[in-house]
Amino acid sequence: MAAVNDERGQRLAELLVRFGANVQPGQVVLVNGDLDDRDLLRKVTAECYRAGARHVEVDYLDPYLQRSRVLHGGDDAIGFAPPWEFDRVRAVGEAGCATVSLVGGTDPKVLAGLDPDRLGRDRSPVGKEWLRLTAERALNWTVGPAPSARWAAVAHPDMEPAAGLERLWQEIERVCRLDDPDPVASWDERMSMIVAVGRRLTERRFDALHFEGPGTDLTVGLLPSSVFVSAGDMKTAHGVAHRPNLPSEEVFTIPDPMRVDGHVTSTKPLDVDGTLISGLCVRFERGRAVAIDADQGAGMLRARAAIDEGAARLGEVALVDGASRIGALGTVFYETLLDENAASHIALGGGFDFGVQDEADRERINRSEIHIDFMIGSHDVSVTGVTRDGERVPVLRGGAWQI
Amino acid sequence: MPTVDDVFATRLADLAVGFGANVQPGQILVVNAELGREQVARAVSDAAYRAGARHVEVAYSDAWVRRARIEHGSDDSIGYAPQWQVDRIQRMGEEHVALITLEAALDPAATAGLDPARLGADQSPVRQAYLRLVVDRLINWCIIACPTPEWAAQVYPELDAAAAFDRLVADLAHVLRLDSESPVDAWTARFERLSDVARRLTERRLDAVHLRGEGTDLTVGLLPSSCWLAATFETSDGITHHPNLPTEEVFTTPDPARTEGTVRSTKPLLVEGSLIEGLRVRFEAGRAVAIDADANAEVLRARAGRDEGGSRLGELALVDGEGRIGALDRVFYSTLLDENAASHIALGNALTAAVGDEADVPSANTSSIHIDFMVGSPEMEVDGIAGGERVPLLRNGEWQL
Repeated sequence: MAAVNDERGQRLAELLVRFGANVQPGQVVLVNGDLDDRDLLRKVTAECYRAGARHVEVDYLDPYLQRSRVLHGGDDAIGFAPPWEFDRVRAVGEAGCATVSLVGGTDPKVLAGLDPDRLGRDRSPVGKEWLRLTAERALNWTVGPAPSARWAAVAHPDMEPAAGLERLWQEIERVCRLDDPDPVASWDERMSMIVAVGRRLTERRFDALHFEGPGTDLTVGLLPSSVFVSAGDMKTAHGVAHRPNLPSEEVFTIPDPMRVDGHVTSTKPLDVDGTLISGLCVRFERGRAVAIDADQGAGMLRARAAIDEGAARLGEVALVDGASRIGALGTVFYETLLDENAASHIALGGGFDFGVQDEADRERINRSEIHIDFMIGSHDVSVTGVTRDGERVPVLRGGAWQI
Repeated sequence: MPTVDDVFATRLADLAVGFGANVQPGQILVVNAELGREQVARAVSDAAYRAGARHVEVAYSDAWVRRARIEHGSDDSIGYAPQWQVDRIQRMGEEHVALITLEAALDPAATAGLDPARLGADQSPVRQAYLRLVVDRLINWCIIACPTPEWAAQVYPELDAAAAFDRLVADLAHVLRLDSESPVDAWTARFERLSDVARRLTERRLDAVHLRGEGTDLTVGLLPSSCWLAATFETSDGITHHPNLPTEEVFTTPDPARTEGTVRSTKPLLVEGSLIEGLRVRFEAGRAVAIDADANAEVLRARAGRDEGGSRLGELALVDGEGRIGALDRVFYSTLLDENAASHIALGNALTAAVGDEADVPSANTSSIHIDFMVGSPEMEVDGIAGGERVPLLRNGEWQL
């Protein structure tokens, strides 16, 4: 079993380093992941050096430290970051680094029972500096999945631990196309298809997207020069192609933060930094989320949405078709990386500059410290493009592209 | 992974935070911990926040990440670190942070079979930046022993893994005086004794110290204003801290130009994961002119060759037989413990705190390295030389002052 997972881990590491981040010789690479993911982190590190990295800096993330702070820290400890963290982000941007981030479920025990208000406010101010580097396309970066017993317990709670982990590995291999003889060729083909859909969507110059389904009737206005982008389009300012997410099945664009109206029911639970939010229902008026309700975890999301002016407005709208391998599995992974690529989604918070073409529209993109995706699509949710003249053009019906 | 009980972790953390580093309300605490020390690192975080810390940053390091660099990295990756890592340390100095390092012997498997030349050359500039903070007394810091299964396996090879770990936890509880009713009171009393010895040694105004034992006949010259200290430090802000726990030594700064003779180490020495056994060093006019060993001498030669000061002495320390570590009669393969079991010397950078006169500070050794190795034993005779006269300092592990 261990040896099998060694080989699997090596294939996953190669995909993330060579295809995902596309690490260049001489680059400094920042690698991060949970302490539990050390086996894969070490494989990623070795692969980066084999790819010619000058240095690999590994950040082992310990979610318990946040629990410690929220439980025992003074008020001035909440939401604080030391000054050198800001300096580091700046230097990393100037150096043009690669990054590989591993994610995969959060142990719900770590943040259980904490004051939701303190937890909601305990957000590192460095996050928005990283978002700025992303917006400036300074880094070739990727986020990939790291299967672990911790994650398996969340995604497959009813299975015996070893079987749950084995199932999770198989699912990750499936959705990362590692079960194909040539995963990179398989991804190239899938990403070319999504890039072509994105191009056609951009050409229609829709004024808005209209989502209709059970509990959902939402119109998301777009900016005049909004473009539909996918992982296959991504290049750094220096021209290095990279895939920000693996797997990636979405095509996304920038909404007009002032023109979102209606209500939307999330089609999958989501995990926000360890807090589970299920049965989420959000009502928007003139772009603003004016009511956030949920069966569970609403308090956490309300606190996050109140962090700054842009946090209650949309920064992204993304479409995912039914051919997504993630959607086909039907598993809820409680991990945005996978769940957001199972279904169409929207995000509260900041948007990416490269989602609009015109300089003038750039200023209208929503800005916020946060970026929280939640899933609103399913086979039962139809998506219709609305043109400036009011013409309605079917985009997704029953999970199939109509365009 | 075996775990320690929460009482042990909490007592260790409270000692590190409240006595070792002496973390102040509003301070940022940085914790350096190798992977596998999470449980204690988290207890330290809890203790520090309870003591009013503004922020706790735990920087986890991983010997296997370093192994990946030595094995797979290009030549220009060896010894390289991005500038922001150095800048971070400088910033920590400007912020006057507290620093706690959880110390244990590394898993030898993480360095087994690596090219010793690459390993020796892979010295991060970050280390030099840390030494600067220490020399300038900008941070209140503490290196404290922390049990790990890998360490236990090295110290107690005759025991199975679980028993070895339990034994290490018990031994560390003893040498860290966590088994005292109040560990802080126990340490306060021991520091009073060591400070008294240090005061008397300083009053003797010794010109040199002569070490005599099996394979050792070494004269270590001192600077005119060299003074002796126990390991109680004070930052430039006036915060008292205890940089090593456990500690049993009194130490001084030698004259880097006046060490003569030969010395044989009395315990194996670990340098970044390589075990150096049977180490023999010959000094002429202060310089280590020959470094030999039964195994891995080249690792130490590579380190000593890094800069001019790397082959000269930066520290001389004396340890008496009353310390709790020597009595255990174990090799811990960790300088923090082993150096407090026996008298020792260090190649490399000097702590200028042990130089009384500003004018002598430029004479103290400077280097990017600082490697302690044990030369003492109960049989070793230590004499002080002052005004051409010899005075006995240690006989059979007992102070003669």
